[in-house]
Amino acid sequence: MIETLAFWILFLAFVGAFTAQVARRIQIIRAAPDTLSLDNLPFRVKRFLVDVVMQRRTIAERPAAGLMHAFVFWGFVAFGGYTSIEFLRGLGIVDLTGTGWFAGYRIVLVPFAVAVLVGIVFLLIRRAFIRPVGLGSKVSLESIVIGLFIAALMVTFLLTFQLDEGTVPGHANWWVHMLVILAFLALIPASKHFHLVLSPITVFLKSPELGNLPNLDFEKEQVGLEAVKDLGSKMALDAFTCVECGRCQVNCPAWGAGKALNPKAIILQTQEALLGGDRETRLGTIYSNEVLWQCTTCGACENQCPVGIEHLPILIGARRGLVSNGEAPGYLGAMYNNLERRSNIWGLGYDQRMKFVQSAALETFDPVKHDVLVWLGCAGAFDADFQKSLRSLFQILRGRGVRFGVLAKEKCTGDPAKRTGNEYMFQELATANIEDLRAAGPRKILTSCPHCVKTIGRDYRKFGYDVDIVHTSVYVEAVTRGVPLTSGAATSTASVPGGAAATAPTHHPREIVTFHDPCYLGRYGGTVDEPRALLSRFGADIREPERNRENPYCCGAGGGLLFADKEEEPGSRISDVRFKQLRATGANTVVTACPFCSIMLKGAQASGQAETQFVDLMTFVSSRLHTGDL
Amino acid sequence: MILVIAEQREGKLNRASWETIAAAQTMGGDIVVLVAGASPTGPAADLAAARVKEIVTVEHAALEPYTPDAFVAGLQNAITQLSPTYILLPHTYQTRDFAPKLAARMDRSLITDVTLVKIGSSEPVFVRPMFQGKLTADVVPVGEAPHFITFQIGAFGVDAVAKGSAAAPVRALSVPVDASAIREKPEAPFQQAKQAVDLSQAERIVSVGRGIKEQANIQVAERLAEAIGAEIAASRPICDAGWLPMERQVGSSGQTVAPKLYLALGISGAIQHLVGMKGAGTIVAINKDPDAPIFEVADYGIVGDLFEVVPAIIEAVKAS
Amino acid sequence: MKIAVCIKQVPTREWQPRLDDSRTWIREADAGFEMNEPDAYALEEALRLKEKHGGEVVVCSAGPARVAQVIREALARGADRAIHVEDDALASADAFVTAGALSAAMRDDGFDLTLTGLQSDDQGFAQVGVILAEQLGLPHATIIMEVQAAGSGVRVKRELEGGWFQWVTMPLPAVLTIQSGINQLRYATLKGIMAAKRKEIRKASMSATASCRQKIVALYTPEKSKKTQILGGSPAEAARELVRKLRDEARVL
Repeated sequence: MIETLAFWILFLAFVGAFTAQVARRIQIIRAAPDTLSLDNLPFRVKRFLVDVVMQRRTIAERPAAGLMHAFVFWGFVAFGGYTSIEFLRGLGIVDLTGTGWFAGYRIVLVPFAVAVLVGIVFLLIRRAFIRPVGLGSKVSLESIVIGLFIAALMVTFLLTFQLDEGTVPGHANWWVHMLVILAFLALIPASKHFHLVLSPITVFLKSPELGNLPNLDFEKEQVGLEAVKDLGSKMALDAFTCVECGRCQVNCPAWGAGKALNPKAIILQTQEALLGGDRETRLGTIYSNEVLWQCTTCGACENQCPVGIEHLPILIGARRGLVSNGEAPGYLGAMYNNLERRSNIWGLGYDQRMKFVQSAALETFDPVKHDVLVWLGCAGAFDADFQKSLRSLFQILRGRGVRFGVLAKEKCTGDPAKRTGNEYMFQELATANIEDLRAAGPRKILTSCPHCVKTIGRDYRKFGYDVDIVHTSVYVEAVTRGVPLTSGAATSTASVPGGAAATAPTHHPREIVTFHDPCYLGRYGGTVDEPRALLSRFGADIREPERNRENPYCCGAGGGLLFADKEEEPGSRISDVRFKQLRATGANTVVTACPFCSIMLKGAQASGQAETQFVDLMTFVSSRLHTGDL
Repeated sequence: MILVIAEQREGKLNRASWETIAAAQTMGGDIVVLVAGASPTGPAADLAAARVKEIVTVEHAALEPYTPDAFVAGLQNAITQLSPTYILLPHTYQTRDFAPKLAARMDRSLITDVTLVKIGSSEPVFVRPMFQGKLTADVVPVGEAPHFITFQIGAFGVDAVAKGSAAAPVRALSVPVDASAIREKPEAPFQQAKQAVDLSQAERIVSVGRGIKEQANIQVAERLAEAIGAEIAASRPICDAGWLPMERQVGSSGQTVAPKLYLALGISGAIQHLVGMKGAGTIVAINKDPDAPIFEVADYGIVGDLFEVVPAIIEAVKAS
Repeated sequence: MKIAVCIKQVPTREWQPRLDDSRTWIREADAGFEMNEPDAYALEEALRLKEKHGGEVVVCSAGPARVAQVIREALARGADRAIHVEDDALASADAFVTAGALSAAMRDDGFDLTLTGLQSDDQGFAQVGVILAEQLGLPHATIIMEVQAAGSGVRVKRELEGGWFQWVTMPLPAVLTIQSGINQLRYATLKGIMAAKRKEIRKASMSATASCRQKIVALYTPEKSKKTQILGGSPAEAARELVRKLRDEARVL
């Protein structure tokens, strides 16, 4: 009796502590502007099953630690029933521990308990002794305590098979088990273990699209995130669900280049600010201003996060707040002036685009005549270097009988404005482009710039413009299937002495190349196979760099950083770091599929005085296409 | 009669005055050249070599240093005395400062930045660029004479001036100028101190890129710069390597320049460099690679080894 | 300090010339418009002076209704109110007419300082600022690189040829024409754009008194276009040809 009473008191105390802390956080979340969405439900359900239940994301980036965590997680879920039943007994409500099925349940739990123990011991050793950089410089005492708690829970559970409950040790064992649970409960809300409660929710609520931000509504005078009170409810949830694993940090290209930006710090600083209570605190004081401008919007942080945190809405949202108040860095001011006066980031005149259109004999798009519209983009219009790639593309398309045209005029899609937080400029450019696109009426658009693919394909949808736009690698892969490669004298029998037919076309020896996946193509678009299929088909032997496919290491151009060259900043250039990684593959040729990756990496090559060859994917393909075909 | 207003400062004649005389000579008729200042007799004697009717000097202490108030008052008086049909001036910074005020004071027309005069059966028509040089306009003055015209610097050649068989007569014109009515107080002109490298002010630039190969080779470019009176600049890799200081970097992350002449030696023409120099008046590219993007924007290009071409250019410059 | 900034709306630099039927002016329907670039620098200078010395910045523009676009842009960047002299004839008017329209509308406001760009990107006569000074009876200086307000006057740095400069002092009120590139232009922030909607634009009409002083009798495209000339031959030959062309054709040596 006394025991039950004592248990009730402890239960109420600890659960009370738990509830109070949770209530405070719920209040903070509810006070935030509502940014929750449940669109595309089937996708969310599937992702939940794969990432939460099957723990795919946790395991993918860190296989060993991820698997150990999966053990702990599955064990935790499995033990849910057991814990509930023991609490019901302890509170004197009902005792189901004597039933047959409970006995069977306990047996089933044994392998789970062993797995959890193995997992937690591994993780404790990793945290305390191996000390990977993503976990921070200091060993978190709280994490060690929780880890030991979990170990204790499993040990005390396993001991129930050895100890009889009637005996003092057995009884004490039960009490230890229950007290540990209660203590754990009280510790959860104020620690990173709150993810136990929140992460299934945040994963479910995470947008199906990477880097998804709402458009600003100017009628409602929205200007972006200026102060803590502007942070949305999903952002607040994200701040509380962070497990501090550091996956975002170690994958961030800015952090990898020694810059001050650390996505994990951004989330934790957000959490601190929310708990701090002063909703008027300006975001510029929470995350130092310079840090906000070091982000290339590559999305590695958000993409790697196992608990559904969306870093980009916070970073870009804060940028919006700064830009709206005129606090963007100087080099962006120049870029915005160029966008405003000339509708392109370079500030160059459109007579240059016209020169290119004429010299490449391009036709104005006509939906009746042409199958596809080719969107040149600003690099296509003004960068003579990238225009070589486009000429290769036109050669390929013409050779395959694809009828294509270009728009009479294009403005910048607005991508650099949007990613740097100048939403007004973005909407001006977007609405103008959409008007022109609608008037032209293409069914399918091709472009060689992954940023244009993302902006026109995804961001323009919010304005009601939905069009099928693909990167040229996807289209070219499709139209070049079954095409023979350039060969020597293979197909012509007359050239072989004696008239004997050649046995097989002689191919060029396979060229060793490395492919740099553009962030906006691989990570945002998920297009990783088509470029590789093209390269293999046309004679390349691909050496993969250390970061590739859906998780490339950014070239450093995105987020307006193309124009930032702040020598005074500590750390190296992101492009230099990536260039080293590409060189480390041993390949002497780098294949690119984005004009900006090409600009940045060639810049790194020039600065590094290296002799690496660069070739755009389209040029690689067109140079190896069978000449008889064209 | 056509009145040409020459420009001088502290006894030194502005070369553009000769160009204006050349322009006047294409229009036909009597030409009178006026030179004003504190001591105009020296420049007047030089000008007398031209084939003109006479040189008129307006000497007054209040006219130097130059102020718009003094010039407008003085020239208005002189023009009223001389009664020309056309008044021609070179389109210099100084002319731009006072000519509109003078024309407005006299309620007469002013057509500026003229490159050509079309003489036909009726009145002359003045040709000038418009819309950033994208269009050319034929303009005629409206209203009574005299009409003011300014000529674009360099539109007429100094050597095109016809010389007279004998020196033209020089006479002084008495013009009152009320010094107390001058509202502007100018200080002495100065040249910007050259502590910091300010490429944005340079009229000519010689720029080097990776094609220069080694730091020691930059002296080839420096000799060219010296020969033509240019500043040295570079693309980013050269500055990254420390071969030239960061202040000499031209490009989107360096300086933006708009010189009259930009010589790009061994520069491929990556777009970040191009946006820094696209405003240049004349672009010359020398590069081994015929496909280098720089040739797309260059006015003149030489495909070749810069170590052979540049010395040859220095020779050619010294020869002429 | 009460500062007026005169701005002009001109066709964008990227616009490809198309002539109207009379071939004496451009076909405006095809053109996009923007603020004249030197005027943008004048506006920026005015805003900086206001930030330093207090007062107000009033943007003045003479032109057809479409000019409201650049007025709003100036208000969005920080100007306090605007005066718009509206008349369709002002689209192609010469400097005398334009200056006359502006001076009539601005006279009664009693501005301490009036700033304009040194010339416009369309007609480019470089006269309006100076004629305005004459019509208002004020001292002026042109092609200004720096402005210092000093007591009841201004001390300004004039740009001269060949890298020379000169400081000039004059009493207020005065008129200055501003050189491009003297400062870094601020961009219109979102908040500025929203606030601009609430700022006053006073409309004025053009009196018929100002008569034009010049007429464009023909407008056409120049013959030579910008094409790259590749000079061939031996290095010595190419070099000689280059120097000759730079001397005689491009006239930069």
